[in-house]
Amino acid sequence: MAISGDPDADLEWSLVEWRRFRRRKRLADVHWVDALYQAYLTALLGALAVLVLGDVVGDDAVSAAGLRDVRAEGPAALAMVVAVAVAVALRSGSRGGPLALERADVRHVLLAPVDRTTALRGPAVRQVRFAAFVGAVTGAVAGHLASNRLPGADAAWTASGAAFGLVTASLAYGAALVTSGLKVQPWKASAVAGALLAWSVGDLAGTLPSGPLSLLGRLALWPLDLDPSGLVPVAVAAGLVGVGFAVVGGVSVESAERRSTLVGQLRFAATLQDIRTVIVLRRQLAMELPRSRPWARIVPHGVDRFPVWVRGWRGVLRWPATRVARVVVLGATAGLALGGAWDGTTPLLVVAGLALFVAALDAIEPLAQEIDHPSRRDSVPVVAGQLHLRHLPTIVAVSLLIALMAAAVALLVAPPSLTLEVAAAVVVPAALGTAGAGVVSVVMGAPGFSPSNAALPPEAAGLRMAVRTAWPPVLATLGLAPVLAARAAVDSGRAPGDAVATAAAVGVAPVAVFAFVCAWVRWRDQARAAWHRQVESAFGSKPEPATDG
Amino acid sequence: MADLTSADPAPADPAPAAAAPAAAALVTEGLAKLYADLVALEPLDLTIAAGEMVALVGHNGSGKSTLLRLAAGLLEATAGSARVAGTPVGSPPARAATSYLPDDPVLYDDLSVREHLAYVASLHGAEVDEDNVERLIARVGLAARADDLPSRFSRGLRQKASIALALVRPFELLVVDEPFVGLDATGKASLLELLAEANAAGAAVVVATHDASYVERVSRCIALREGAVVLDGTATPQDVLSIVSA
Repeated sequence: MAISGDPDADLEWSLVEWRRFRRRKRLADVHWVDALYQAYLTALLGALAVLVLGDVVGDDAVSAAGLRDVRAEGPAALAMVVAVAVAVALRSGSRGGPLALERADVRHVLLAPVDRTTALRGPAVRQVRFAAFVGAVTGAVAGHLASNRLPGADAAWTASGAAFGLVTASLAYGAALVTSGLKVQPWKASAVAGALLAWSVGDLAGTLPSGPLSLLGRLALWPLDLDPSGLVPVAVAAGLVGVGFAVVGGVSVESAERRSTLVGQLRFAATLQDIRTVIVLRRQLAMELPRSRPWARIVPHGVDRFPVWVRGWRGVLRWPATRVARVVVLGATAGLALGGAWDGTTPLLVVAGLALFVAALDAIEPLAQEIDHPSRRDSVPVVAGQLHLRHLPTIVAVSLLIALMAAAVALLVAPPSLTLEVAAAVVVPAALGTAGAGVVSVVMGAPGFSPSNAALPPEAAGLRMAVRTAWPPVLATLGLAPVLAARAAVDSGRAPGDAVATAAAVGVAPVAVFAFVCAWVRWRDQARAAWHRQVESAFGSKPEPATDG
Repeated sequence: MADLTSADPAPADPAPAAAAPAAAALVTEGLAKLYADLVALEPLDLTIAAGEMVALVGHNGSGKSTLLRLAAGLLEATAGSARVAGTPVGSPPARAATSYLPDDPVLYDDLSVREHLAYVASLHGAEVDEDNVERLIARVGLAARADDLPSRFSRGLRQKASIALALVRPFELLVVDEPFVGLDATGKASLLELLAEANAAGAAVVVATHDASYVERVSRCIALREGAVVLDGTATPQDVLSIVSA
């Protein structure tokens, strides 16, 4: 052992040499058949996506009025996309992203006296390069599809789309690298991200002047109007990426270690569509810990008559402020989208449904805790289904609060034809849809292994998984169907009372679906066991393991 | 300079101790760490001299690992500061001076034990003497597995590889977290010898452990409870047990 190392040693060069050595080893381990199959799958999925998108976009030339709308609102709409990307990047950067290093690299490289900027620049360059490539390809495809409906040469649209995608990806990654390298605190990054989003929403709604990100939207629309100001974001993105590379060594080692532990698991869980695990890992990544002191304390009085109900509220009352804020924002987002849907933009109902579904993933926390710890759950003298069922009142109560918030916001932003009575008629179905979506998602759990799944080709298995994943958000959206029914009644000139009655009548459907969900939660295990017994007696063989759905 | 890779566990060369820097190995001033509203470490003023051998004890959640990870630069302090060998924790000289042996071995999946040692040594500017590396590998009990991938090792073997990694490179401060977990009796004996040799060579050694008997091997014991120091001085195993069970 020596007290000090060689002061003249070129540590960075050693690192570069070792990384080359490891890369050679890794490449030697990759079989060409695996690489070819991966390329085949990527190409197939890419082609499918282009075909589907092409069908959605269509190829009819837009009308003169439509073209005017594209010119007037296109930059702001595209700026919204950029704002979302940059907002996500800023939040990721404030938590040590976008780099996700190997854990061993954090321990052995970042704790060595190697210059961190040099050590991290290589991975950062590779990541930015990949993101820019993906952005450019996505943008090029979007540009090509746009050329089917908008005037201008296909090549010009494809090129401007590629440039837009490339610059957007670079801008987002540059912002994340700078945020991470300068150790910007999460609340400051969230504030900037929120301001950018708010500005973009205001720009899109026409209530705020054009934001800086709409300049990038103009770049995407160059085949319509060649506006040199579109070059400004190109310079900004290049500058941000350059600064990001220069400050990348300032990354927080604590955040880097946390990310190195969690990001791999997070990606794996996302690949398996294990939404609950994704949620739990994301909370760990954001250091979203339950409060040591609850917002309010539930004082026990002797033996609780409703222990599961009380346990549920004890958990909810320990939600950290960030989770409370997130649920409030999601409720408000659902309200804004509902307001827009009432105003005539029907697809916004899906946005509202998605916002409520994401909020539901927080609302179902007490039940999810039970499912996360099955051995603890199975140690109580109550059937699992019954225990799960007893959690539902807490979940419905939280969902009601979220739905009330959404209704209040919708009342504020929607035209006056949306009355308090209609909103009130929508609240209960919306809450039950929200609760049902969360419950189904968490009780269904991650797709498990089964021989029938294993026998499916990847293309079919992927489709099956997509349908499985889409089911809970569909339930949340179904809870909002009374909004559409009431709007249709108002649009057809019927009396406000009729609109309320229509909403209430259509609202029976989500209530019935929720009742079915309750029965499913209570009897799911028994029904599956009975089904497997039937299969066994019919075919005389043991059925496949019950791990899916 | 002690040769940890030799078969003789006695310190062979007192030169590094004589050449040890005058600055304290570790100095903390108001060093504190919070996780959200949870206090992991109360503001802590502490000085560990060069060449000192310290045991860090306390019950689970008392703040031992947090203190060591702060000293190693893996965690960022909520308040206060820490310096290693006179330089701020996290700075290149402090990183060069601090070797951290974690309780959870973290190793690459694609490098053998021998490659790991060569890699870490080169990242610290240490000359890779093949004979010394072989002796170190032998002393931690991995001679027969030196060319195997640690990803296929048991917990104990991974811990042994991690010990070799912590010792193959130069350091002035060795911070060790729960080193005996998962080790067999031979491995534990070897580790105790290696820690003593590192200390004899002039390095300050701080070992966080639940093994009360370890305090008999050190000149100073620091006990933590709820993130605060409740004892700093000499202690017997009985003292440690009473602190932990209090």
